[in-house]
Amino acid sequence: MDLYEYQARELLKEQGIPVPEAIYAQNSHEVAEGSDQIGYPVVVKAQVKIGHRGQAGGVKLAHTRDDAILASEDILPMTIHGHSVSGVLVAEAKNILHEYYVSISVDRSSRDFDVLATANGGTEVEEIAKEHPESVKRLHISALDDFDIEAAREMAAAIGFYHADVEQAAQILLRMWRCFKDNDATLVEINPLAKIGDPDDESSKSLCALDAKISLDDNAKFRHDGWKRFDDSTGSDSLEHQAQEFGLHYVHLDGEVGVIGNGAGLVMSSLDAVAYAGEDQGNGITAANFLDIGGGASAQTMCQSLRIVLSDPKVESVLVNVYGGITSCEQVARGIIEAIEELRMTKPLVVRFDGNHASEGLAILREEHNSMIHVAPTMEEAAQMSVQLAAQAKENRQ
Amino acid sequence: MSAFLEHDAPVIVQGITGHQGMMHAQRMLAAGTRVVGGVNPRKAGTSLTFTGMDGTDVEVPVFATCQEAKAETGAQASVIFVPPRFAKSAMVEAIEAGFSVVVVITEGIPVADSAYCVELALRRGVRLIGPNCPGMVTMSGRPDQHGVNLGIIPDGITSYGPLGLVSKSGTLTYQMMAELGDIGFTACIGAGGDPIVGTTLQEALMVFEDDPETQAVVMIGEIGGNAEQDAALWAQEHMTKPVVAYIAGFTAPEGKQMGHAGAIVSGGKGTAQDKKEALEAAGIPVGRTPRQTADLMRELLAARSK
Repeated sequence: MDLYEYQARELLKEQGIPVPEAIYAQNSHEVAEGSDQIGYPVVVKAQVKIGHRGQAGGVKLAHTRDDAILASEDILPMTIHGHSVSGVLVAEAKNILHEYYVSISVDRSSRDFDVLATANGGTEVEEIAKEHPESVKRLHISALDDFDIEAAREMAAAIGFYHADVEQAAQILLRMWRCFKDNDATLVEINPLAKIGDPDDESSKSLCALDAKISLDDNAKFRHDGWKRFDDSTGSDSLEHQAQEFGLHYVHLDGEVGVIGNGAGLVMSSLDAVAYAGEDQGNGITAANFLDIGGGASAQTMCQSLRIVLSDPKVESVLVNVYGGITSCEQVARGIIEAIEELRMTKPLVVRFDGNHASEGLAILREEHNSMIHVAPTMEEAAQMSVQLAAQAKENRQ
Repeated sequence: MSAFLEHDAPVIVQGITGHQGMMHAQRMLAAGTRVVGGVNPRKAGTSLTFTGMDGTDVEVPVFATCQEAKAETGAQASVIFVPPRFAKSAMVEAIEAGFSVVVVITEGIPVADSAYCVELALRRGVRLIGPNCPGMVTMSGRPDQHGVNLGIIPDGITSYGPLGLVSKSGTLTYQMMAELGDIGFTACIGAGGDPIVGTTLQEALMVFEDDPETQAVVMIGEIGGNAEQDAALWAQEHMTKPVVAYIAGFTAPEGKQMGHAGAIVSGGKGTAQDKKEALEAAGIPVGRTPRQTADLMRELLAARSK
């Protein structure tokens, strides 16, 4: 689960990491009130779970109340790279002297935690890594050993923080680690971690987290009651939401063939097979969704799955691809029959069964004598058939 | 001896009194695996009755701890079927008890817990497989010995032969075992679909490379992370046995988790295309579908036997 900047900065603040004064606002009235409270100039920043919002016009500096209101009226209705803006963060504008970048994330290859940092922060770290690879430092925190202030000091020095900043940077690194660990995060990123203050007054200078990105591990939800406050329905897909409530893994895509299968890998493989069949047949048909019914699915699960897939108006045909391990193809077949009766299904369905009770499942389907149900012996043939049927249905409609 | 565990090795099941643990302990026994105990501190001292391979009753005692179960039964491996919130302590207990193999079937374990246990297992020299995987089966070429079935992989899909199989996906494992069922396998490993797992694709290749009975390996990957690239790099330098691969998720969209916790393309990284290119650059052919991947393996074996 990705957090908005305004939520991420709250988690940093809880650990004692300095952040600028700011308020979250969802209308221009709240923006005006908040800006007055903070004092000008302020920065008005789009709250959206995608990068590069600055280039898209989602961040504006405002020197007066009217400026702030205008900026928010520009930003609030925006959709940035397909993500609708949930609100704005109005933050005190700081005088930036220097920008660092620091992140902690899960390192899938070394199977520990990765600290990525550079003294040339500000822009996206991928760009910095391309232009100045030598300036990006990658350090590791073991999953088993403790990371303490001594280790943080060593790391701050190794990253290349200016001498005057090392002690505060070490404190921030340690607090970032606590933020990462306590919150079961998979990413805590501060960019920029800025040196702010009056250039002529050494005592005014300090480090401050001007922007933050945090992702949380969905698998750890069970031990964080507080995550309910991060629930977010902005721009979420209603079919995906429905499926989630039934405990199904559903991802809404853009094509015409609804795909249902058991096991994430097999379903992904089916999506690919559908796209290849669309290429082969030259009709450009692709999959309408990913839906994994999981292991040991019941007839009821199958029936709910078909209901969700068929609620997508773009769906022209459905491919059911099941390799029965724990899942019994007989149960899946019963679910299909149930759903067809309940939904008065009019769209063609192609079924490929293999493994546990496959022949029993196929026998149940045959006994229905329903011309909408097609059976294919392999995944590849099932994909070809479902694409052909979808293309025909689409053509008949036009 | 198979690549991962002795044939006929005695094993225990953690969470044996739960629905999943009980069902699969029965399936493992029916497949000929010697399930000699279970662990549940609240039911310690009781026993469960299962049906063995020959139809007779098998009494399986329940112990309070892994350490006790190991001491009493001599078990060499443990299979974990406990819910995510108890998984970390179950894994730590199994690793500290010193089983040679610990298989974790549980899906939904926080990645920080897996990272901790994987590091602990590496330091203790325990082979952890999973989490979020279907487990492992090994096949024996001798009629007087049985391979082991640790986890939820259905029995009887394939038999003993010269291939090794490692896969991030459960059902694609079964699919590939069936595709190449006539040729047969030494061992099939479900590596798991989580971001951090105890045995990576590369580590499975390393075991198959060292195993005298395995002659070629099928590797099944999917979007997310760099495990396929890491395996490709290692194989290019060290692997003398041929490998063919399949990758799922070419059409998966950016930023969407495709079922498995680890199956996500983010920031343009972890795409199926990148993985395919890395594998092909290392001389590992990549099939377009599981069927085509199996065909690649058949061609490769045919060419070698000429």
